[in-house]
Amino acid sequence: MNKTKISIVLGLMCVALTFGICLQIRTVENSNVKVAQTYEENNLRAEVLKYKEKYDNIYQNITQEEKKLEEERKKATQNNSVLEEQEAQINNANKLIGLAEVKGPGVIVTLQDSKKSSDKVLNLNDIIVHDGDVLSVINELKNAGAEAISINDQRIVSTTAISCDGNVISINKEKVGSPFVIKAIGLPESLAALDRPGGYLEYLKKYDIGVSLEKSNDITIPKYSGKLEIKYGHTVESQE
Amino acid sequence: MKKGKITMIFTVAIAFFALACVMSMQFKLVNETDITSIENLREEELQEQLASWKQKYEEAQNQYKEVKDKIQEYADKKTSDIETSALVKTELEEANLLLGKTDVEGEGIEIVINENKDDDFVRIKDSDLLSIVNSLKYAGAEAISINEERILPMTDIVDIQYSFIKINGQRILAPYVIKAIGNKSHLESSLLGNGGYAERLKNIGHQVTITQKDNVLVKKYNGDITTKYIQEDENN
Repeated sequence: MNKTKISIVLGLMCVALTFGICLQIRTVENSNVKVAQTYEENNLRAEVLKYKEKYDNIYQNITQEEKKLEEERKKATQNNSVLEEQEAQINNANKLIGLAEVKGPGVIVTLQDSKKSSDKVLNLNDIIVHDGDVLSVINELKNAGAEAISINDQRIVSTTAISCDGNVISINKEKVGSPFVIKAIGLPESLAALDRPGGYLEYLKKYDIGVSLEKSNDITIPKYSGKLEIKYGHTVESQE
Repeated sequence: MKKGKITMIFTVAIAFFALACVMSMQFKLVNETDITSIENLREEELQEQLASWKQKYEEAQNQYKEVKDKIQEYADKKTSDIETSALVKTELEEANLLLGKTDVEGEGIEIVINENKDDDFVRIKDSDLLSIVNSLKYAGAEAISINEERILPMTDIVDIQYSFIKINGQRILAPYVIKAIGNKSHLESSLLGNGGYAERLKNIGHQVTITQKDNVLVKKYNGDITTKYIQEDENN
């Protein structure tokens, strides 16, 4: 009687031990890869960082030069009221298409993957924020009269696509992960209606997605970091 | 016999304890491994990143040069009103083109969607059009319109009472004609194939026709684009 009990316990232990050892070996294998970074990989890593820095530098320069251009344009047009008017139109258009930083009142919406542990849900897809969710929230904001929107500092411009990219979402072809901080400029009261019963935010809350909405009087939305280019199309005179 | 039993239990307990320790360490290690940090990237990923940063850097370099050139031009021509006005005009035209205030013509595709009339349940919804527009943008569309309503940066597409769709606040009705300018084969393939949105609509009985064209005309936005809440810069 006693012997059987002992054998069962020993048997269970052996199983658990085997499992533990397997897990251990696999991690050790993985971490070996991590530790033994090859010479070549280190070089690559340095190269990536170098280019990132170079890009950051030149990006700052561009921002400065654009300010200069604006000043220069202003100087060149200030003596002529027609030109001055056109200059104002250019500046205004740049704000609308996302080529200039903008400030104003609005809301900040944050969406965060559910903190529920993944083994407590039937479908893993239910607890993470998807590209479609972000797209719907953006559409609702536009409907509520948003004048400028950004997601994790990626400005929404006319060519912005929001798509699924494995674990993360790609916006303007840049990878963006949870939490998603969506900033929108517009009438705060109207934008805050996103929170209404039956709205998309409520729907997300049902799935335990972390949702918060906050009004603010001072929101800054950065300019689009890429270049807006029209290669295939050209302007034609209206036929009317 | 009794002594043997106690030793046995003792050994088992120690073994379990050791096991629990190892496992908890294990889980901690697995949790702490950040797969996105640059230290943990593999060679192929690094190469991919390098290529993308290089490309971005080169693009930025070009952009930098362009801005510089423009400044130079303004500086050179600032004394002559006629020359300045030509410069301002080009810049304004470009801005209006990007904004959607001009008619645009170019290579692209035309999509016509006829709704499935037998089944009321599967009507075309706002989210369908939204997804199509999103796919087109992903494929590099430069200008898009749906039933001649131009898609602007801040254009919304919404269902009203589940019976019709509003774009830019204008009511639009089936059949839906979507025009997009860009690389025509890229645009078309973004909607076709497995998971392509046109394919999905076809599967639920809608008629979708996509035509590649060398000359698509996307009309301008007819309303005024005004802003009320974007503030002027303090330094202006």
